[in-house]
Amino acid sequence: MSEFKGSIADIGMDTISLSGTLPMKLAAVKAAGFSQIMLMARDLTGHAEGVTAAVEAVRASGLRVTGFQVLRDFEGLSGNLHDYKIDIAKSMLEMCAALGSKVLLVCSSTSIHASDDRDVIAKDLRKLAMLALPLGIRIAYEGLSWGRHVNEFTHAWDVVCRADAPNLGLGFDSFHVFATKTSLEDIDMLDPDKIFLVQLADFMWQEIRSVEERITTARTFRVFPGEGVHSAQLAEIVMRLDRLGYSGDYSFEVFNDDYQQMPPATVAQRAYRAALWLGEDVLRRSVPIPGQMRLRT
Amino acid sequence: MTVEREVSADTANPLGLDGVEFIEYATSRPQALGQLLEAMGFRPIARHRSREVLLYRQGEMNVIVNAHVDPHYNAEPGEIPRSLQPSETPVISAICFRVRDAREAYRRALDRGAWAAPARVEVMELNIPSIHGVGSSRIYFVDRYREFSIYDVDFTMIPTVDPDPPALAGLHWFGVVQYIGADRTGDWTEFYRELFGFEALPDEERFGVLPKGRVLKSPCQCFYLQLIAPNPELQEADQEELLQRVAFGVQDVLTAVALLRERGMAFVESPGVHTENRGALTQGRLGGVMFELVQHTPA
Repeated sequence: MSEFKGSIADIGMDTISLSGTLPMKLAAVKAAGFSQIMLMARDLTGHAEGVTAAVEAVRASGLRVTGFQVLRDFEGLSGNLHDYKIDIAKSMLEMCAALGSKVLLVCSSTSIHASDDRDVIAKDLRKLAMLALPLGIRIAYEGLSWGRHVNEFTHAWDVVCRADAPNLGLGFDSFHVFATKTSLEDIDMLDPDKIFLVQLADFMWQEIRSVEERITTARTFRVFPGEGVHSAQLAEIVMRLDRLGYSGDYSFEVFNDDYQQMPPATVAQRAYRAALWLGEDVLRRSVPIPGQMRLRT
Repeated sequence: MTVEREVSADTANPLGLDGVEFIEYATSRPQALGQLLEAMGFRPIARHRSREVLLYRQGEMNVIVNAHVDPHYNAEPGEIPRSLQPSETPVISAICFRVRDAREAYRRALDRGAWAAPARVEVMELNIPSIHGVGSSRIYFVDRYREFSIYDVDFTMIPTVDPDPPALAGLHWFGVVQYIGADRTGDWTEFYRELFGFEALPDEERFGVLPKGRVLKSPCQCFYLQLIAPNPELQEADQEELLQRVAFGVQDVLTAVALLRERGMAFVESPGVHTENRGALTQGRLGGVMFELVQHTPA
């Protein structure tokens, strides 16, 4: 009898949940049963043997790269600040391409220097998408819940629509949706083909009152799906996206200080339980639906 | 008196694009490619002053054969390859567009998200601005093609050679075929639209004998790009993105094919693709270099 693995090929972990070196993280994620991993720039730049060796380690792991993160405070700037951020973006794009990652995550700006004009924001993101285009990279734009002018996925979606670039889409993070209490019904207005990444995380309390509390919670107290207090809403998000026709990846964007004090293998096993919960209990993928052909596996 | 107060700049042709100045191949076997180009009707005209680069010409078409080895190739470890080293198999390494104002065209492209390609210029040579195109290729901008030519500066003419050999059977630039990855048609259509003003033709409007993919028309109405995605029926489809071949326009395809056969060119004659009035395809040489002929009357 073969061991039951579940159907979680489109669900992956993020290196930010794990302590240790890049090779340790890759090994732990793979050993837990995942086939993909979300990487951050520091995974490469902080590698003891340099960026090239880091890229080789990722490629040798056999794990697919879900995406690369994160370009911050990019849009809405002018003059020298804009030119500076274009240089940073190019550097990120080159690392992203070297990894074979097809997605670069961009978070909405928190900068006081950034314009609030959505058309200006859209123009900058369109330019970023054009920079990414020859490299075969798609830009996933995410509304940080503490973003200065764009802080809900509905805002980010508006910007994506205004920019109207084929390789610019939405990065959707459940944490920020819970933090800002954005209506889940708004998910239904999204175009599933323009959602380029879905990041899932929960946390352990209901209310986040201030922006400062949002940042602290987001950076230290996130937990895997199924471990927090928003499991029902998290399940609803995933089911709404599934019904909408979203066929991209789900990545666990879990920043947690406690997990940083645990062996990577233990954390990866927790993540794997969360993936099974999503795949089997929420999306019920192993359950055959009578008389209905499922195109997704 | 002008009508500038009433008529704004030509938005349909933002760069004042006016055709192709040259197409460049990179190869470590320049003589072999030169022989092939000569069989296609080109003549060697001039040599580059500082590098192993030759200029071939027929009619209005300039082809540059570049065998120069870049000493700075991928100098930074971990960098993705954005420049070409000449390989035995020739590859199309650049397209040069004629524009109203090269400096302005270059600035406009960078403002919209093009990558500047580093200049490879020696003293007393023209600094021709270029951006990165598909794969390792470049796109150059030139605006000096009326009063004098760029080749007058960077090249020395080969003595006793006619600098303006007539085109065989009226061959002229028609377009370039670009291979793209899966699901990339929208991306590359947007790239050429945003940066140069190319527009997609309706699916029923096709030329030649290889009508697959999407065809983009230049804003000057004189040059085409054809985007070909991998065949989805193939299990492990090749996803590489590159400029695959050049297409020449010609009024009478069959006459041109007959003349080219006399010069040693062979054409693909299969049930799917064969010589006909609409067009023809030469058999691949030197590891895959092929040329397409397309029935086309120049404007």
